Amino acid sequence: MAIIERPTPAAPVVVTPTETYGLLKRPVSSTGWRSWVFTIDHKKLGIMYAVTAMFFFIVGGIEALLIRLQLAAPNGKVLNADLYNQMFTMHATTMVFLFIMPMAAGFANYFLPLQIGARDVAFPRLNAFGFWSLLFGGIFLNLAWFLGGAADGGWFMYAPNSGPVFSPSNGVNFWALGLQIAGIASLTSAINLIITVLNMRAPGMSLMKMPIFTWMITVVQFLLLFAVPVITVALFLLMFQRNFGARFFDVAAGADPLLWQHLFWIFGHPEVYILILPSFGIISEVLPVFSRKPLFGYPFVVFSGAAIGFVGWGVWAHHMFASGLGPVSVAVFSVATMAIAVPTGVKIINWTLTMWGGKLWFTTAMKFAIGLIVLFTVGGLSGVTHSIAPSDTQQTDTYYIVAHFHYVLFGGSVLGIFAGFYYWWPKVFGKMLSEKLGSWNFWLMIIGLNLTFGPMHILGLQGQPRRMYQWTEARAGEGFFNLAFWNSVASIGSFILAIGILIFLINVWVTSRNPQRAPLDPWDARSLEWMTSNPPKEHNFDVIPTVHHLDEFFHRKYEEDEATHTMKQITTAEDLIAEQERNADRHIHMPSPSYWPIVLAFGLPVIAFGLIYSYLIAVVGGVIVLFAAFGWALESSTAPESDFENPNSSAELVKHD
Amino acid sequence: MRASIASVRGVLNKRCAAVVSSVGFTALFTGCASNAPQDTWQPKGPNAELIDDLQQPVFAVAGVIGLIVASAVIYTMIKYRDRGQPIPEQIHGKPALEVTLTIIPALILAVVAVFTFGAIFKLAKTDDTEMIINVTGQQWWWEYDYPVQNEFGINQPIITSGQLVMPIGTKVLLRETSRDVIHSYWIPALNGKRDAVPGRVHTLRLEADEPGIYAGQCTEFCGLSHANMRMEAVALSKEDFAKWVANQQAPYVAPAVGTLAKQGEEVFLNQCVRCHQVNGLTRADGTPAIAAPDENVWSGAAPNLSHLMTRNTFAGAMFDLLSKRCRDEVWNAPSDMVGARYLEGVTEECLNQKDLRAWLRNAPEVKPMYANPANLLVSNGKYRGMPYLALSEDDIGKLVAYLITLK
Amino acid sequence: MTDVAHGHVGGTGISNVKLGMWAFLGSECLLFGGLISTYMLYRGRVTGGPRPSQIFDIPFTSVSSFVLLMSSLTMVLAVSAAHKDDDRKTNLWLTVTALLGTTFVGGQVYEFTAFYKEGLGFSTSLFGSSFYTLTGFHGVHVTVGIIMLMSLVGILTRSSMPGKKAEVVEIVGLYWHFVDIVWIIIFTLVYLIPV
Repeated sequence: MAIIERPTPAAPVVVTPTETYGLLKRPVSSTGWRSWVFTIDHKKLGIMYAVTAMFFFIVGGIEALLIRLQLAAPNGKVLNADLYNQMFTMHATTMVFLFIMPMAAGFANYFLPLQIGARDVAFPRLNAFGFWSLLFGGIFLNLAWFLGGAADGGWFMYAPNSGPVFSPSNGVNFWALGLQIAGIASLTSAINLIITVLNMRAPGMSLMKMPIFTWMITVVQFLLLFAVPVITVALFLLMFQRNFGARFFDVAAGADPLLWQHLFWIFGHPEVYILILPSFGIISEVLPVFSRKPLFGYPFVVFSGAAIGFVGWGVWAHHMFASGLGPVSVAVFSVATMAIAVPTGVKIINWTLTMWGGKLWFTTAMKFAIGLIVLFTVGGLSGVTHSIAPSDTQQTDTYYIVAHFHYVLFGGSVLGIFAGFYYWWPKVFGKMLSEKLGSWNFWLMIIGLNLTFGPMHILGLQGQPRRMYQWTEARAGEGFFNLAFWNSVASIGSFILAIGILIFLINVWVTSRNPQRAPLDPWDARSLEWMTSNPPKEHNFDVIPTVHHLDEFFHRKYEEDEATHTMKQITTAEDLIAEQERNADRHIHMPSPSYWPIVLAFGLPVIAFGLIYSYLIAVVGGVIVLFAAFGWALESSTAPESDFENPNSSAELVKHD
Repeated sequence: MRASIASVRGVLNKRCAAVVSSVGFTALFTGCASNAPQDTWQPKGPNAELIDDLQQPVFAVAGVIGLIVASAVIYTMIKYRDRGQPIPEQIHGKPALEVTLTIIPALILAVVAVFTFGAIFKLAKTDDTEMIINVTGQQWWWEYDYPVQNEFGINQPIITSGQLVMPIGTKVLLRETSRDVIHSYWIPALNGKRDAVPGRVHTLRLEADEPGIYAGQCTEFCGLSHANMRMEAVALSKEDFAKWVANQQAPYVAPAVGTLAKQGEEVFLNQCVRCHQVNGLTRADGTPAIAAPDENVWSGAAPNLSHLMTRNTFAGAMFDLLSKRCRDEVWNAPSDMVGARYLEGVTEECLNQKDLRAWLRNAPEVKPMYANPANLLVSNGKYRGMPYLALSEDDIGKLVAYLITLK
Repeated sequence: MTDVAHGHVGGTGISNVKLGMWAFLGSECLLFGGLISTYMLYRGRVTGGPRPSQIFDIPFTSVSSFVLLMSSLTMVLAVSAAHKDDDRKTNLWLTVTALLGTTFVGGQVYEFTAFYKEGLGFSTSLFGSSFYTLTGFHGVHVTVGIIMLMSLVGILTRSSMPGKKAEVVEIVGLYWHFVDIVWIIIFTLVYLIPV
């Protein structure tokens, strides 16, 4: 619960709400479903983000399999044109906004406070609100499937094809409003994590002693902070056009359809780094641990991450090389795009050099991390070929681009996420995922993804455009290795990939049935999140550690041998944590659960629903939002002291302020 | 824990396989599909060649860098696998090495940038244009409109669709726009793509070295039948092109009275002329039959069917007017014979009756279009694409007989 | 030290909530940036509807802009009173600020009505759509600000506000000043610079 006494009392602390606001009493459960629904614990929310993301990963994956089934043979009949268009639109939307971003948010929520030695994030209730907005936004987006058809304009939703005449179903309305709601989640979590990092680091942790994962997440939050409002504007313009008759993309009124493209990609390109940098952060944690060496060139990795963050703002128009920008703009954006390859290359070099000279331990997490280095490099290099603008005019909107960004997003982001699963699973759940199944998981995914996306390079370079619900043999070429062959290979590959992911789910299930607990420090890890119990206590650290080193935890366990400069162990994780428990802080105030985040978040889809169907419903939603906002504002983030009176405890109540 | 992990050797073998497969896919197999009509690596004109010359070295360098990275990773994995060595010194980096390794890729890219700049501006040039063709995209077909250019014998505008006919060795400038959503014009053998954006005019240089038919495909997602919005650029020798121009400007020849074709003309006047123009066609009372697609179709245009049988395709180049055999003969003709074969047009025995009849019978069934009259509220009752016309088999027969006369 | 719930002064020396407001306002800059860019692109595209110069009443809008500007001054007075822990004066100045803000919003409602009567609807032209969207978004921001000010007054009267009062007033003040500054930019770009 919300207040932790040391030593832990035998019985749970008695908590009685004394103050009520409006109609609702403050929630107090520390068990059962209420402890999840009303939680504001960053760790629980992290898990909830990840579970939600995993669910949408499966949804998006099924959409992908349907797409590949349709394209396995010429003139596919699995889906009709309309359904196919909805499928690829929602596949991309789901994977980008409802899988990778929330999964990264899950990792960030769980591990960022732990890595910086904090007990929670800066705004715990805002954190909960962000999660619920994301979940409700995601559900709202997908409701369109059952209410007349999902969005069908592609995830980039170019105007004027997104207008009411060209996309008459409600799909685009659901899409625009659903993303708006999910965007609120991104914005609040960006503000929250930025402030957490700026203000709540453990004593001694200067910015340049922060774990690299935290650094990359911080860069991502700044990108989100400034990118989300741009897509917000774009989505408002689209919504006003579709729902209120605005003319923004109406060419007859003199509108310029390129406005949407600029707004979308000013958001959309930073978005690409929003998707990849968290995984860069994850493997920058994993590689040092399993190489038994610090990250090579930590400052270079930090600054290259920040540089990517900055330059990422100046390359958006490389998505528009065929849009007719004029040669000067094309040349400028072409060079900027080449420039961004340099800091990305720096990272790959640093990862490789981290392994160089190390003592490599090929766990599943390490395999995924190494897989990322190699496969992301493939995606990065094909990205360089796009920066050659004239060459890009041949490649853009072909399967070559599809191959490129799947190597970046699957070979990069997703492999990084899986490295994170295997690496941090014992920390979060106190159990080890099976390494044997992990190996199957890894190899099937690697083989599957190369078979799926590798051939797409060929398909694209040999002229197969994207977003076609059917392809025809007339354009497939001759010979055995024609486009028909590669299309079937890609489809077969996608099912191998799906089996790989299924094995992960089986691994999770098997692990959850296995009673064996994980050791406290199974990987001999380096950063602060491992200096806690498995899983961490609600307040994370019994004592807030004082930080002296990058890789603080490692340096508490090891010291350098003067003669050989190799490292020798001086103590164990168990001893370190036992020592913490002995010196535990007394009377730790943790923020209390709250009803308001979920209530406020629930109001948002109600408003959105009302905007599509009836303004009356929107008014109801507005009332919910207003009511919840006032409840929230009046409720203090920690329940009052009197709520926690424990009649059996004589613990001294010293308020640390 | 460590014991449960597959032996390092096994790991490495599998890893090699994965690396070879990923890098190998691009490096080894790209050339394997022979003759793909939209292959971007088989340029057939100076603009596409410029792009190709620029990108081939980049692909090569990228491939080499990819192999270096993969080899470095594999070598590191073998050399530094855990063999019981002590935990190494905690080295945090070697700035000099890192700076060097940052500068090298930056220099490579700087060189690439110089050549890229040159190509970008060469491909944007318009002042050396020899011939202009206006290209207008709409859901889901392209209209080609040749403004008057007397030096090519074009004395009155030619409006056609389905196939872009152009003379070889001539710097053609396409002026692209769109009547509804964004489309993108792309003939890979002749140049990269350029979007056709409503409200804007974009230019694209095209030039073919040899006579031939070069395939293309709309590459900006444009709705239901995006996949079916194809194009073919037909490059003819200058003499053949002149013949083609002359034929396009030839006056309308009405079918002889009493023939099936004449009855077909009547059906056409009753049904098709609402949207489709045939230049020179007159009604029974002698007034010219003027199509009014703007009253029936959202984009305001429908293909002009004058001299339909000089084209090899219909319905946005989705279907062939030529039977499979005849089509192959044209496409596979040696370069010096393409023109002659193409100018023969569609003869009675070469007509692809099956697809043409299916199209006339129920167009939205064979090509997805938003043509359901129940859903036309948002578009003021206007169709997007050709609607179902409920023609009788009898009428279809008459129409086919008529259309075959539009030579 | 161990209380994570309250905005503790940490690495930056600025409290969590205040820093959070700064971050939020940073994000808002791009929101208005996007809306202003859209307006600047479209302001000359009137398709038969009225042109900006035909309907703008510069003197009227100047007065209402001045009113909004003055509200920044009263906001400063409110913050200073709050720092002196003078609840009565804080309440007074917050109320005056809210009233000035309401006057501005009232002026905007009047202006919108007048423009509408002169033939500029939301769907009339790109100018109309982008003008109403930009100024409307700003108006909504002012309205949200007024609600926050009035809530503050209500809470201060009940004296049951969690956290430090002066800081909450200051944070609402930050928001209010931001909205004012945005208006100065909008007023200059939309009303003063001719198309």
